[in-house]
Amino acid sequence: MRARITSLPGLPPLIACGALLALWEAAARIFAIDGLPPAHEALRQLPAILGDREALINILDSVRRMAIGCALALAVAVPIGLLMGRSRLVAAFFNPLLMTIYPVPKAALMPIVMLWLGIGDASKTLVIFLGVSLPLIYHSYQGARAVEEKMLWSAAAMGMSARRRLIRIVLPASLPQIFVGVRTGLVLALITMVTSEMIARQSGVGNILFNSLDMALYDTVYAMIVIIGLLGFVLDVAFERLRSWLVAWAEPVHQIAVGTT
Amino acid sequence: MIAIEGLSKSFETQRRTSHLALADISLSVAEGEFVSILGPSGCGKSTLLYIVGGFVRQTSGSVAVNGAPVTGPGPDRGPVFQEFALFPWKTVLGNVMYGLIEQGVPRPEAEAKARALIGLVHLGGYESFYPKELSGGMKQRVAIARTLAYGPSILLMDEPFGALDTHTRTGLQHEFLEIWERDRKTVLFVTHSVEEAVFLSDRVVVLTRSPGRIKAEVRLDLARPRRRAELLVDRRYQTLVVDIERLMDAPEQAP
Repeated sequence: MRARITSLPGLPPLIACGALLALWEAAARIFAIDGLPPAHEALRQLPAILGDREALINILDSVRRMAIGCALALAVAVPIGLLMGRSRLVAAFFNPLLMTIYPVPKAALMPIVMLWLGIGDASKTLVIFLGVSLPLIYHSYQGARAVEEKMLWSAAAMGMSARRRLIRIVLPASLPQIFVGVRTGLVLALITMVTSEMIARQSGVGNILFNSLDMALYDTVYAMIVIIGLLGFVLDVAFERLRSWLVAWAEPVHQIAVGTT
Repeated sequence: MIAIEGLSKSFETQRRTSHLALADISLSVAEGEFVSILGPSGCGKSTLLYIVGGFVRQTSGSVAVNGAPVTGPGPDRGPVFQEFALFPWKTVLGNVMYGLIEQGVPRPEAEAKARALIGLVHLGGYESFYPKELSGGMKQRVAIARTLAYGPSILLMDEPFGALDTHTRTGLQHEFLEIWERDRKTVLFVTHSVEEAVFLSDRVVVLTRSPGRIKAEVRLDLARPRRRAELLVDRRYQTLVVDIERLMDAPEQAP
């Protein structure tokens, strides 16, 4: 029997999901409070939300901001991290800055950013960008610093200049580490995305969630939480596919802990 | 041809004191000569190789290769490292072709040359393998082919067989000698194995323990091509190994 369960790769996660829903359903019936509607009521809201044009626009708004924030972070953070890893001067410049910014929850900067940029897309995208950038810089830095010196020498002996080595050797050699940073960054992007919309309510997933909370539409609140969770799950699975395809050549990287803000 | 004159190298240590790694090394290696540098670990023998390669700057003295002073790495001097240092994101073929592509050789030509070299190091059939799928001995064969590919006139070998098991090591020594016999490039070969040095080289330079100074030079007049099985029972080979081992163990004279 045990052999049969583990031979179906999709089964254990399904059982886990089912158990969680059962627990939720049971807890809702036992405690019977307004703030905890039964699972089936919350799930019943899913088709309604996903079929609603306005809700979909809100979800797409969120995803768009997240995508732009992540893309900007990739374009800025990876070069900074790689340069830090290869130049002691650059590292000495950025390290204290990063050490100061890292522990600050990026969403806590949201009110200040709103003063500068308003409550629209710009401030939310900026906060997502900041949230994703830090783990990306950190992991690119670690990756670039760990590049084997002899590998760079081998390239130098072929006549490759230092600048070219950064792109042709340091970047690919650091890719496995960079991907660790991207994975952490994706989770942080999701978190900062929701919190930024919680603070600057205008559109987005977080906006629906917290407006529903204000209106005591608890089943919608829970349905939105499920949607955010599913979004994270789908992103992570898609990312893992991409990663295993792009860095199949690498020795296995240690599994990573998920970061928090 | 390599000309090293009065070369010294000191490093700054963690405690901000200066550590002398190499002192007053003068050595010249003729074109086509196979010279091994022998010494206890920590004597700076690898550092000497890195300075000739242009990867590390000397503190004083001069190094010239074919008459021109060394100012940095260049494709005239091809390194092979103990750590292999292959590009893990490239296949065997990609690694061997890398230097040729870098030097602007057209792709079909680079690929043909790389395939021939992969055959030369007995790795035919492994062209599309990634380094992580290869054993240590195979990785070092790839590294040797990758360096030979861009045609350096000097090979700088930094304990290339040091990380391999004895069986693989002697096998590779043989293969490497066979390859070397084809065009007899100038070789500077760093090792701490006396037998390896005697088996491979025309001349052995013994360094003292830190700071590394030249303790002795021994010319090896063993006929080529050499075969390990024949040399092992050869009196002259045995005497040379014993003599050089004694030399290495002998107390160092005060400078």
